[in-house]
Amino acid sequence: MKTASLVKLHLITLVGPPNSGKTTLFNQLSGKNFKTVNYPGSTVEYSTCKIQSKFGIDADVLDSPGIISLNPNSPDEEVSINSLYNHPEFGSPHLLVATVDASQISRHLLLAKQLIESGFNVIVALTMNDILAKRGFEVDENKLGEELGCGVIKVDGRSGRGIDKLLSCVKPKLNDDEIKERNSPHKVFENISKEKLLGIYKEIERIEKNVIVEIKNINAPNLLQANEKLKILNPTLKYGSNRPDELTLKIDKYLLSRRWGLVFFFLIMAFTFTSIFWLANPFMELVDELFGYLSTTAAGFLGHTWYSDLIADGIISGTGSVLVFLPQILILFLILGLLEDTGYLARGAMLIDKPLSKIGLNGKSFVPMLSGFACAIPAILAARTISNRRERLLTIFIIPLMSCSARLPVYALLIAFLTPPDKAWLAGIALAVVYISSIIGSLIVAAFINKFNKKIINAVDSSSFILELPAYRVPKIKNVIRNSFENAKQYIYRAGPIILVLSIAIWFLTYFPNHSPEVNTTGLSHEEAVHLIKAERLSTSYASDLGKIIQPVMSPLGMDWRIGVSLIAAFAAREVFVSSLAMIFKVTDEDNLQSSILFAMKDAVNEETGKPLFTVPTIVGLIVFFIFAMQCLSTVAVSKKETGGWRIPILQIIIFTSIAYVFSLITVNLLNLAGF
Amino acid sequence: MKTASELNFGERAIISDVDNSHPSFRRILEIGFTPGQEIELVNSSSFNDPLAFALRGTLIAIRKHEADCIILS
Ligand SMILES: Nc1nc2c(ncn2[C@@H]2O[C@H](COP(=O)(O)OP(=O)(O)O)[C@@H](O)[C@H]2O)c(=O)[nH]1
Ligand SMILES: [Mg+2]
Repeated sequence: MKTASLVKLHLITLVGPPNSGKTTLFNQLSGKNFKTVNYPGSTVEYSTCKIQSKFGIDADVLDSPGIISLNPNSPDEEVSINSLYNHPEFGSPHLLVATVDASQISRHLLLAKQLIESGFNVIVALTMNDILAKRGFEVDENKLGEELGCGVIKVDGRSGRGIDKLLSCVKPKLNDDEIKERNSPHKVFENISKEKLLGIYKEIERIEKNVIVEIKNINAPNLLQANEKLKILNPTLKYGSNRPDELTLKIDKYLLSRRWGLVFFFLIMAFTFTSIFWLANPFMELVDELFGYLSTTAAGFLGHTWYSDLIADGIISGTGSVLVFLPQILILFLILGLLEDTGYLARGAMLIDKPLSKIGLNGKSFVPMLSGFACAIPAILAARTISNRRERLLTIFIIPLMSCSARLPVYALLIAFLTPPDKAWLAGIALAVVYISSIIGSLIVAAFINKFNKKIINAVDSSSFILELPAYRVPKIKNVIRNSFENAKQYIYRAGPIILVLSIAIWFLTYFPNHSPEVNTTGLSHEEAVHLIKAERLSTSYASDLGKIIQPVMSPLGMDWRIGVSLIAAFAAREVFVSSLAMIFKVTDEDNLQSSILFAMKDAVNEETGKPLFTVPTIVGLIVFFIFAMQCLSTVAVSKKETGGWRIPILQIIIFTSIAYVFSLITVNLLNLAGF
Repeated sequence: MKTASELNFGERAIISDVDNSHPSFRRILEIGFTPGQEIELVNSSSFNDPLAFALRGTLIAIRKHEADCIILS
């Protein structure tokens, strides 16, 4: 993101309470499109970017996680506050642009005042003026500027209104001489006393009364009368802005109703996850046919040579068998994005705080856990918003159990094997069952760890849940769509090379050394001959040598080394399991990639026992394995970084992988006993 | 002495003090529950905890035991 430049540019940091419009302003200044989320604390990482050249200022801007005051309360706030004094990578900012929500000025001025008093170089950007205007009021920016002793500019980051004015105010502040003369800011607000805090608030309330003025000549309802009707108790409040958004209150009557709140919660979650399947279906078929077509065309074009096999089977079928699931992943991002943008997530966190706190988690674990369904890596970062260390570590611990999008291709293939192709709804239900099992599994693991093992997570401090419930908002569809495509693209960039390289590696291991085996094909049809050659080649391949080592582990599961090799390959990235199966089992050249894999799987025979390899018990056993196994190297790396050591990631690998093996062993054998 | 956790739904009251022996008291103050402010209990989760209060033009959810440190007049 950061432009490589020799001269160090001036740094402007955007700082403000959560949901005050920092990221919106950042996107406007940088011309980028970062996700704005209607959940407090959604920006946990920094993004920096050069200000767009059209604004004529040579400086970097930095978007930071929201903070309420200069007294940190959770890891993300601490990082954010320390970076105001000295950012580990970008140095100390030359100027702070403090965002203040005009419609909540009495809460948001606390931080701005603390920043100014600490000696930072501050300009206040007043956002959400339209919301205040709807109530019939506006802020007198000049008066507020005088009161605070700094520049105050009204902006709307969505339309870009006021940005020019803001920047014309920024420019002189970045003057080198002025910057040199400034003293470095001092830390005065850590463990601030109650008296001091109340003193600042008194001052803010005085300022508020001074700067908020009624907008004349509009058809707004007479608010003094409205206040009378609402029987506002506080006589000093002359305007109605201490009432939350009316529409939000109405919606919450239902969504937060004590009787129906949980029902709505489960319905919303169920809809989110089932829609992945049925919405994505038509798109998947398109991608599938495309790759099937590419593979047969390539094979036809290149003839029967080893490089034809490499390109058609290794590269096209291998990567294609995974990319078929891209539409599902895209739709998962899309729906999570829409949900995030509405403001419902904070309610979800509140609704399940109580049950989660019973097993050592926190309502604030909900959003990280939910984003774990897309990918564990951002989810583990999102756990920084949890202030209690023990709850945060426990949340990180169980996040890998959330069914991330990398598992979707695996589940989808395995479920497609179990359900008839004309009944997509059945597959949807099966997938929902898998997701629910993974949630229940993770909660049980959390409860066990919380109860029995103080050694795994040995941190204690007081648990708390204080969360702002933002006003509901219609999600900005265009933004969400753009972001989902961006996410899907990043997914391809991140997972694509791994899948490609491993596909080629697996192809190599299964093709050599005996690439043109001597078999007697007299009297066999062409298809049977190809089948025989392929089987002979595989059973004398490097992969088979490797496979013999793991055969003892696989036998109790009713599986053979071919699945074992695929499972090992899946430790680099789970999707590789699918491409590996495709290469090991696929024989027929059909137009449709997925159905040809399924077809080959139905034919496959366990080399040890001679019975069919893929049966209901082994398929369900594999699903169970994937629900629990910790199979992603990047997750291990992030878990180490965020927990500050190897202990938790190593325990995750050991505990989850043994649970995976034992549970799938039990599942396979129980189902076999039951006669499936 | 009544605390915010004892409010009925839809009931409004004015904060008189915040108990500073409570571990979360500073965050409670910082988020805007200060003496003199009017609050209203608006919603709660289905488990009656946490509670959602209207305060200073927004909604804030806090646990019951945190609402206990908000003393009403
Ligand atoms: N009505 C209104 N909404 C705004 C304004 N500025 C930002 N928003 C919205 O407020 C929400 C929170 O903004 P965001 O930039 O994510 O806040 P952050 O948490 O401070 O980064 C987003 O949905 C924005 O679209 C504004 O001036 N008026
Ligand atoms: Mg943000």
